[in-house]
Amino acid sequence: MTIAPEKHEVAVPTKQWQGQSVPRKEDKRLTQGQGVYVDDVKRHGMGYLHFVRSPYAHAHITSIDVSAAEKLKGVYGTLTGEEVASLTDPFFQLASPPGAHVKDYALAVGKVRYVGEPIVAVVAETRELARDASELVEVEYEPLEAIVDARVALDDAKPVLHEDSGSNLMWNGLYEWGSWDEAVAEADKIVKIEELHFHRFNSTPLETDGAVVEFNRGVGQWTIFTNNQFPGFAQIMMGPAMRVGLDKLRFVTQDIGGGFGNKITSHPQLTVCCLLARKLNRPINWTEWRTDFHMSMSHGNERWFHDTEIAVKSDGTLLGFKTKALDDAGAYLRYEPLGGVIWAQVTPGMYRWKHISLDFTQVATNKAPCSPNRGYSRMQHLWFTERMIDIVARELELDPVEVRKRNYVRADEMPYTTPNGCVYDSGDYAKMLDVALDLIGWDGIEQRRAEAKERGKLLGVGIGSTLDSGTNNFGQSRMINPELQFSGNNEVATVKLDIFGEIVVTLGTTPQGQGHETTAAQVVADILGCSVDDVHVRSGHDSYWNSHAGFSGTYASQFAVTGLGAVKGATDMLAEQIKRLGSVILGGVPEDQLELAEGSVRIKGNPEAALPFMACGAIINANNAGLPEDLDVTLNCRYVYRPPFEVPDLERKYGNLTLTYATQIHAAVVEVDPETGYYEIVDYAATDDCGVRINPQIVEGQVMGATAQALGAVQHEAYEYDDDGNLLTPNFYDYHVPHALDMPPLETGYIETPSPFTPLGTKGMGEGGGAGIHAVCAALQDATGATVWDSWNPYKRVWEHLNRPRQIVEVVDA
Amino acid sequence: MLLRDVEYAKPASLPDALSALAAHDGARALAGGQTLINVMKARAASPDVLVDLNGLEELKGIELAGDGTLTIGAMTTYSELMESAEAKARPILAEVVSTIADVQVRNRGTVGGNVCANDPTNHLPPLMAAVGARFTIAGGSGEREVTAEDFFLGVYLTAVGPGELLTKIAIPAGKHDGFAAITLGVDGTCIANAAASLNGSLRVALGCVDAVPVVLQPASTEEDAVRAAVHAANLDPPSDVHASAEYRTHLAEVLAVRAARQAQENA
Amino acid sequence: MSDHSITVTVNGVEYEREVEARKLLIHFVRDDLDLTGSHIGCDTGNCGACSMIVDGTLVKSCMMLAVQADGATVETVEGLADGDELTPLQQSFSEHHALQCGYCTPGMLISATALLRANPSPSEEEIRKALQGNICRCTGYWNIFEAVKAVAK
Repeated sequence: MTIAPEKHEVAVPTKQWQGQSVPRKEDKRLTQGQGVYVDDVKRHGMGYLHFVRSPYAHAHITSIDVSAAEKLKGVYGTLTGEEVASLTDPFFQLASPPGAHVKDYALAVGKVRYVGEPIVAVVAETRELARDASELVEVEYEPLEAIVDARVALDDAKPVLHEDSGSNLMWNGLYEWGSWDEAVAEADKIVKIEELHFHRFNSTPLETDGAVVEFNRGVGQWTIFTNNQFPGFAQIMMGPAMRVGLDKLRFVTQDIGGGFGNKITSHPQLTVCCLLARKLNRPINWTEWRTDFHMSMSHGNERWFHDTEIAVKSDGTLLGFKTKALDDAGAYLRYEPLGGVIWAQVTPGMYRWKHISLDFTQVATNKAPCSPNRGYSRMQHLWFTERMIDIVARELELDPVEVRKRNYVRADEMPYTTPNGCVYDSGDYAKMLDVALDLIGWDGIEQRRAEAKERGKLLGVGIGSTLDSGTNNFGQSRMINPELQFSGNNEVATVKLDIFGEIVVTLGTTPQGQGHETTAAQVVADILGCSVDDVHVRSGHDSYWNSHAGFSGTYASQFAVTGLGAVKGATDMLAEQIKRLGSVILGGVPEDQLELAEGSVRIKGNPEAALPFMACGAIINANNAGLPEDLDVTLNCRYVYRPPFEVPDLERKYGNLTLTYATQIHAAVVEVDPETGYYEIVDYAATDDCGVRINPQIVEGQVMGATAQALGAVQHEAYEYDDDGNLLTPNFYDYHVPHALDMPPLETGYIETPSPFTPLGTKGMGEGGGAGIHAVCAALQDATGATVWDSWNPYKRVWEHLNRPRQIVEVVDA
Repeated sequence: MLLRDVEYAKPASLPDALSALAAHDGARALAGGQTLINVMKARAASPDVLVDLNGLEELKGIELAGDGTLTIGAMTTYSELMESAEAKARPILAEVVSTIADVQVRNRGTVGGNVCANDPTNHLPPLMAAVGARFTIAGGSGEREVTAEDFFLGVYLTAVGPGELLTKIAIPAGKHDGFAAITLGVDGTCIANAAASLNGSLRVALGCVDAVPVVLQPASTEEDAVRAAVHAANLDPPSDVHASAEYRTHLAEVLAVRAARQAQENA
Repeated sequence: MSDHSITVTVNGVEYEREVEARKLLIHFVRDDLDLTGSHIGCDTGNCGACSMIVDGTLVKSCMMLAVQADGATVETVEGLADGDELTPLQQSFSEHHALQCGYCTPGMLISATALLRANPSPSEEEIRKALQGNICRCTGYWNIFEAVKAVAK
């Protein structure tokens, strides 16, 4: 069942720090090159680790001989899959059977399943020697046929990747809400789309994965300096596999060079580092190479949508859709098959249709394992949704703006419960669309089109509207596997007042550029009535701070809700304790007559009667004789924010899966060269709504960054494989990401509809939902007249659109 | 990212450099390093000895002769070419070179390195072939000059043999040049490119479609003649992730026409 | 093994070290000199996170051998600020939110510094061209252009 979360009264912000673009605390060190990223950490006697990786997409390993490598002077040791299999148990699988039976070890055991899969780890005195030694490792293979197309993964004739599961089927589930038959009965037309494809790419954070791992023999405890962005998940995976308690795995991060979800599933490599740190009794440095990252880390979900049918009225009213989603998970399930349910946070997109049927199948293929990528699983579904909207509009000869406005959830319907029980907290989509259209110059487009035609160019304009659902209810994982014992969400913060009045904030998150130190300080400063400069937020994450819980990390667009919710909770506790202490020290004044201002607790209306924070800290920490026995004040306040969730109804697959819904609506204008298929984005507008903005500049930075990544993805970026499973885009030459000269002119706009469900009225944001991909696909469809069926549209494909458009759409009477 | 063990020498004179290259079978010349260092990082090739040419003043400098011949030292960087007053005699050179990658690459990468690498997607091989450049190669037995046709021999293969060095490139006088490319992003790798030069008759050179630049001599400067010349070449370019053979062939034709048009328009 | 004795002046400080010929300049600076401000983001010389100024010229230090810097003067991000005082360029980056994760930032600052030395009043197009060799995945570059424009004369 759905419980709409209780609404909080959120006053219109008039506070001092909230809403200001306060300069970031992080910048002073980062602009001086004084950030501490994982490869900056050095330990005496450190060994450098290099992985021997599979050159085959699918093969049996018939023998491994490390003796020559180990003999090389300067080599400290090696680790093989055989050792891993005896020292550890396979990583826990989130899937129910058959995926549950996949055996996933930290190194390949007996078989390799994708090009680039780590097989042996070599550790040596220098980086170069480790690489030299890796070339001396002899591995013999018996190659097998590789599966690189998800559409054939379930064919009987195809080999099975994981014999233990017996099938390449990793997970399947049917989602049905409303009634498709009812939709058809009410419809005038059924629009059928044979095939759509969301391509494989990711966000290639500039810093690759890495770790420096130390093992303390005396207490059997590892310290893992790393840039993993979800230590809670890594611990849950590694502890049981390594047969140790989670407290033996101390995660320390400081600065992380971008994450975007791609740094969630490094636990296999971290496990290798831990085993070697213990085996060799020395610290281990592992720095992933760019090529390794492309070949093996966290590809975004690749998804096919087959046999889509859309029930629609002639006036463009959308009644329902059905489709078969086929998700290509790659060779291992690391965070999957959660993608099989996460999309359902945005089942109807921004639209009010009620009758939905989606048959979700996830298969394994001989490609890099998929794991979260910015917009995780929702972006794929939202792209699919926007494609449906634009194709329907074209087939019915309706204005895509009108179709959207007719079908958008309306502002006066918020909070809006979707067909599967998710609650959209707030938003005004129609208004945002108007802002975007204004910014892009929608009214003047036809004139621009004519003018472009005279220059021999085809102009196209497109809209991409998308949601950024934030703060997961992990209870949705039970829709994937009812046995899983996860639900809800949490984040932790500790705020303390130290002996000299220093305000110290400890977060559970692992920021990768989102400015947590700054926005947390803003929230704290507003509550305590002090300056942001008086608030010291510790950088990064450390398990030993004990300021984290099972879901701690930075992912899934939630910091502004969970992280700042925890900060607010902890600070409110601290503020209350300061007042309680102040009440005693100031002669028994009732707490409601006290206020916090200018770094003191003081009597309202009598600012001279003040107890500075420094005095409070000193009393509690070092001068507490004579305090009342029942005075419960520690000035060290730890708060666990817990969003209001219930476990979803697993039978109906119904429930609130995310707490907040930020919105982005983008518009793109493209000019296509009809002779070559080459095109440029000549104008671009991005609007967003993430509720209350604590730091507007930081919010806008996220919108811009997400936009740039989406533009890179739709135009150039793709993890393409040949028939043998070799990755054709393993480096930045062939996997082209946007550079400075590639950026189009950008106009931005925003509205703020506060969330009624969160402590500060904020909504998580940052992933962005891929609006740029949706907008450019729409613009290319407009320019070429062809059905854009893939999210990847390099020049060669646009040329196909112009010369050999795929005929995959059919309209029949209902 | 991490090179195999290698020896390094930085000779102070051209004869010393030639001796060093001749002395070891596995010796390679290190020019700007913008290609070779990458090759060595990937361990696709691992020379035993790197002979650093960056100290050889003899290979630097650009001269403009009275008859308009432009002679470019092989170790001229892209940036130096762009800043050269002499090179303005042939504007297409700076125009094309300024689209190669980025400032960092242009500050170190050299004209000689670009042509000697002879990567099919490079800009300079087709451009040099179109303008009729002549290449001076020095070796133990002296110097010789070869035409572009005899210089570019295969993928990554030129007439510069073991123990030899390209010392300079001579470009005859002329101004009617054109260059057109489709690149992977602005200033990115070429997916297809074409250079053209009109010096009495029209010469068009196609890059990216074969191991070496494909040089065409269309019957006239008319668009139809250019297209006919491309068709007659029976191109069979490679397929890769950016272009199928068919698409690349099509692009070559379109770019040949555009380069030729630009050559005619450039006075 | 091929060890060479090299002397390199980095940010005004002279260092004398023994290096293998095969060691890249970026690894020398980061590992041997403990100057970890310059970063590595790729293995094919595309990303520019390793950008440094060598003898007055902007280069990608992963595309040079350390031995090639023998006798050279090298400038890295650590040499920009004067003690604790950020330069106007660094200040401008912060004011314009031209950095998020900060990983590309040292390279960006060095490339921008090289630009402004050669061209104190660059247009936006010139700024883009000058930063073309520095990949950023966080900001989309727009704020970086603004930050550099703001300190242009």
